[in-house]
Amino acid sequence: MARILIIDDDEPFRIHLGTLLRNAGHVVLEVDCALHALDKIALDPFDLLMTDIFMPQMDGFELLSTLLRRHPRIRVIAMSGGGTGMTPNLALNVAKKLGAIELISKPFQPGEVIRAVDRALQADPT
Amino acid sequence: MNTISAYRELTDAHKLQEMRNELEGGFLTVIRHYQAGILHRPERIRQAIRENDPEQVAMESHSLKSVCRQVGLLRMGEMAAELEALGNSGILDQAESLVEQLVASSVTANHELTHFCSGAALPRPFFDKGRQPD
Repeated sequence: MARILIIDDDEPFRIHLGTLLRNAGHVVLEVDCALHALDKIALDPFDLLMTDIFMPQMDGFELLSTLLRRHPRIRVIAMSGGGTGMTPNLALNVAKKLGAIELISKPFQPGEVIRAVDRALQADPT
Repeated sequence: MNTISAYRELTDAHKLQEMRNELEGGFLTVIRHYQAGILHRPERIRQAIRENDPEQVAMESHSLKSVCRQVGLLRMGEMAAELEALGNSGILDQAESLVEQLVASSVTANHELTHFCSGAALPRPFFDKGRQPD
């Protein structure tokens, strides 16, 4: 069982992912923006973060950079269905370069999500 | 608009059944959130078109596209993708008629999803794959 924080501005995706991961036995918290995520992380430790890339205010790229500067050992999974002028693959590759250890394309396959979470939790967070 | 499939059905019962199996007791809660997005986003896109705000059209359409694809509403996803492209191009001339189709489809899709959630099979015509729309 791990503590997982989901960050996505699209409510249906947050609820869907949260339900999947709770069914898999994890403790899950969901927030709708990167700024709320930073607040939560400052208060509580999480084993894993799952963040969307394209969000208003602060996007997933900026969140990744900020997070890994402040908490270099935190594990992050990046998720994207692409954005303006950027395919999902390109967005996820950039996220990987910024430090995401697993990547999930939207629309996601539930089995793929569970496997990515398992791999991320087993990975050495250094 | 030529890129939008001429399939008659909107919802994919197999995809929905898969979700129901995966989510077990959480299925209804999850699908209700998707339904809310499917109903409200097209209205927001219509509003953004009326306000001649291509950026907002692209943003709302992008979100709707993702939501539709996730639950197997592929034809609505195609319409949303087309509207996203129009929003990104900054030219909304063709967007008005497309959004009206999208709004109408969202009402039907919502009805079909509610029907599926009630445990009943979807009405037969929705699965007549390959038939041309009326």
